[in-house]
Amino acid sequence: MEIGPIWRALTRNKTGAILIALQIAVTLAIIVNAVAIIQERSRLMARPSGVDEPNIFYLSSIGFGDDFNERVTIQEDLDAIRNTPGVVNAIQSNSVPLRGGGWSMGLQTEPGSESESSGVAVYFIDEHGLDTYGLELVAGENFTAADVNWREPQAVEWPDKVLLTQAMAETLYPDGFMEALGNTVYINGNEPMTVTGIIKQMQAPWNGWNGVERVMLVPQHTLFGSTRYIVRTEPGQRDRLMPEIEDMLAERSRDRIIRGMTTMEETRERSYQGDSGMVGILIFVVSLLTAITALGIVGLASFSVSRRTRQIGTRRALGATKPAILRYFMTENFLISIIGVLVGAALAIGLNMWMVQAFSLTPLGWYLVPVAMVLLLIVGQIAVLGPARRAASVPPAVATRTV
Amino acid sequence: MLSMQNVAKIYRTDTVETHALRAFSMEVAEGEFVAVTGPSGSGKTTFLNIAGLLETFESGVYKLDGSDVSSLSDAKRSNVRNEKIGFIFQSFNLIPDLNVFDNVDVPLRYRGFKSAERKRRIESVLETVGLASRTKHLPSQLSGGQQQRVAIARALAGEPRFLLADEPTGNLDTQMAASVMALLTEINQRGTTIIMVTHDPSLAEQATRNIYIRDGQVSEDSSAETLSAPEAAA
Amino acid sequence: MFSYYIKLGWLSIRRNPILSILMVSAIAVGIGACMTVLTVNYLMSSNPIPHKSDQLFYVQVDSWDPNGFDENTEPVDQLTYIDAMNLMKAGKAFRQVASNRSGLVLEPSSEDERPFLVDARTTHADFFPMFDLPFLYGAGWDKSADDAQEQVVVLSREINERVFGGEDSVGKRVTMNGLNFRVVGVIDEWMPVPKFYDVTNGAFNLPEDVYIPFSVGVANQLSRNGNTNCWKEPDGEGFEAFLAGECVWIQFWAELRNEQEKEAYMSFLNAYAEEQKALGRFPRPLNNRLRNVMEWMEHQEVVEEDAQVMLWLSMLFLLVCLLNTIGLLLAKFLGKAGDIGLRRALGATKGTLFIQHLIESAMIGLAGGVLGLGLTWLGLKGVQRLFGDFLTHLATMDWVMVTTAIGLAIVSALLAGLYPTWRACNIAPASQLKTQ
Repeated sequence: MEIGPIWRALTRNKTGAILIALQIAVTLAIIVNAVAIIQERSRLMARPSGVDEPNIFYLSSIGFGDDFNERVTIQEDLDAIRNTPGVVNAIQSNSVPLRGGGWSMGLQTEPGSESESSGVAVYFIDEHGLDTYGLELVAGENFTAADVNWREPQAVEWPDKVLLTQAMAETLYPDGFMEALGNTVYINGNEPMTVTGIIKQMQAPWNGWNGVERVMLVPQHTLFGSTRYIVRTEPGQRDRLMPEIEDMLAERSRDRIIRGMTTMEETRERSYQGDSGMVGILIFVVSLLTAITALGIVGLASFSVSRRTRQIGTRRALGATKPAILRYFMTENFLISIIGVLVGAALAIGLNMWMVQAFSLTPLGWYLVPVAMVLLLIVGQIAVLGPARRAASVPPAVATRTV
Repeated sequence: MLSMQNVAKIYRTDTVETHALRAFSMEVAEGEFVAVTGPSGSGKTTFLNIAGLLETFESGVYKLDGSDVSSLSDAKRSNVRNEKIGFIFQSFNLIPDLNVFDNVDVPLRYRGFKSAERKRRIESVLETVGLASRTKHLPSQLSGGQQQRVAIARALAGEPRFLLADEPTGNLDTQMAASVMALLTEINQRGTTIIMVTHDPSLAEQATRNIYIRDGQVSEDSSAETLSAPEAAA
Repeated sequence: MFSYYIKLGWLSIRRNPILSILMVSAIAVGIGACMTVLTVNYLMSSNPIPHKSDQLFYVQVDSWDPNGFDENTEPVDQLTYIDAMNLMKAGKAFRQVASNRSGLVLEPSSEDERPFLVDARTTHADFFPMFDLPFLYGAGWDKSADDAQEQVVVLSREINERVFGGEDSVGKRVTMNGLNFRVVGVIDEWMPVPKFYDVTNGAFNLPEDVYIPFSVGVANQLSRNGNTNCWKEPDGEGFEAFLAGECVWIQFWAELRNEQEKEAYMSFLNAYAEEQKALGRFPRPLNNRLRNVMEWMEHQEVVEEDAQVMLWLSMLFLLVCLLNTIGLLLAKFLGKAGDIGLRRALGATKGTLFIQHLIESAMIGLAGGVLGLGLTWLGLKGVQRLFGDFLTHLATMDWVMVTTAIGLAIVSALLAGLYPTWRACNIAPASQLKTQ
């Protein structure tokens, strides 16, 4: 069966064909852009936080009452947690990656308020910090117990030593992160700190920040009234230890509230809830839309088959085999779909260009359009299969029936 | 050419069984122009459908051009229709979305002819029916008589061994009907066997042989008196 | 005649049940998708305090870093303690409120119940009349309580439920962070969406559990649970230095009843800024703002970008569903050509046929709209599940949305029906009456 007569017959019954083609075109435009957004979000969500997520949980302890001694409590709490069987290590810190809330400062390589400073996320840790978070030290050395001091709520002084992530070190020393090691960086414009080590990777608490891997680790315990313990357990022990440690801490002192018991995995989930929700909706939209378009094709093709019953019978009488009739309708759909996907490709790219501008999305990958085109062509062929088979089963005797 | 022996056809619905043909037998020789008449419901159309391989039947033997076509597969029957039989329908059955040229082209496409061959045949056969100048017209732009001529051209384009015509003038006025009949006679005289189903006795008279069907069986056959006619026609 | 058309429509819909179901569900799905997204957008961009949103102004005076300033730079989004207190003291607006988000530990009086954390807002007396908080019992506190640092508290309905079993607790005592507060009022259900008075800390957060005087919060150095930003470190250690420093953490609202008041307040702000410049603060050029509620919501881009992207995609989605419906209606109406030809032959005018088929389309639209409402409800449930707490009070339907959904469905179906109807009405009466 050749295309010529099918095409000419199609041009005599344009409207239905145009409607299907348009539907396919808009569907393609939506699908391509939805998938582009899905990809973008998935990429964001796939970034590692740098910490040992499966085995870390954290909780807050808020002291109240006049006889609450925060310093002693923190020391005793940490000792007790670290001595619990199944715990790998534990620290007090202000935040964890992906949590959403945290502390940020600016660092610069030259002192003075004229120099440009780079934003950096701050985690307060002690000498157990690297082990607790599961961080890899690529150069320099970890803090020692002697480095760690206590920070009062409104303190403005900073300790002498600091660890930086590779990304932060590179931001300050574009020639290579190793330059940072042993060098002095300035916080608050002119307070010096010595970079004593470099961490391979760790994320800031805000996943939406463009400097998300710029992190500094500071050897301090904080006395802010509300404190957060980060606990790393041996694999598989986390869920057992969470209630155990919560109870233990609650028992140890009545003058505080233990709350906010959260695993890193939950934190990741909550942190990307908007993104994963968007991905979920878009996947749903894409499948629903494809289904609707397919149903539309089925509906219109069925109608065109029933309207052309006599014509099909005549063709059969004139010698068309069943496969020839099947092929006729498949070819017809293919022609309509081809036009649809071509228009749709242009539409998809246009829509993407507009969305990139209006909503700062990333441009779509070049391969998405052809893949979606092929996919929709296949969907069209599958959708038309049913009506086409019904057409093929029209008996040739229909031709002699007087209606 | 065509031979049916004890062919039986039964239509079944949930409640009714209709014996459309019962022990139907007939022979048609090469070059004959046979008119099949009979009252409505007598089985004319069933005979036509079976003769044209449009329908299967329950029992009996049907030989076309010497070979048994009683139990061919659907695809084989399509091929036989395409190569050996030309159909002319009462309501023309032109495909409304295709122009004259493409309509005549339909069976040739299924035949698998090359483009040049198809073009040659279409032009020559449209010449024969006197519509060579109307190739780009759509069926809706033609008169009934012209439409039926296109349908005849379509039936002839594949150079079939015989034509099956179902009330070919039923939808035409007298004048057009006459010219269509003249065309069919001419075709028959060039050697194509024609079987025409009609209810119109005046049309039947123009055939070389008349068969009258009643209750699914041949009840009268004029071939007894005009045995020599086929030879004369040939 | 209308009921006759309805009957004809119904018969026609029943004649091709599968096709009709297909059309109704196409419209329903389109409407469902569109309305789900529209509802979320609508609630995100809704006016939380419609009767006076144009009289409430968010105050920004620019105390920020001169580095990197150009004429397009926005003033900093919150106020320093110094500025907030100065503006409160000046009292130039009809009402004014400086407030901040805090957290307190509430210690129930009974020994069996463990202390728990409550979200608190440290604020001023004007907060309650200014934002029209509905009171279940009692009322807000007086300005004198602000000045005297009185330990008074207004409880939310839930907290009153939890601590006092829902009874009229005015005059009772409650201990928070070791301080003894006297209950002066209990507010009824109050859920401004967006939470316009503090979008800096989350436009869709829940309102606080308790409200206490700002002065009490400062005097007791209560924790700040919201954003705090400093462009330079305070001079020296300690809370006093922090309060005196260039750190912003306070939201400031002014109620200005008319244009004159607004202009007067703006010039007051500018004069204030000049005054501060003379004292060596406010290094930037004059850069103050007064934005009313909706301007402030828009400026803060309260409607999530994702929601907008979804809105566009859902519009296109509806378009596909409509194209679908147009195609099916066209097929259907042209399939009825014989019927239409016959009616024309029997004397129906084009006009009557037009109305007949439009009514049929509208019936399909209505069915689609009703079904679409159900799908919208399901869609909103789904959105809630996917996005969690953040969207719970954004995913509810009101009458506006219900009528919009049905209206949108009918209008869509009528639009979709227009072309097929026009085609059907132009079928020549004779062409369909011949055999074939």
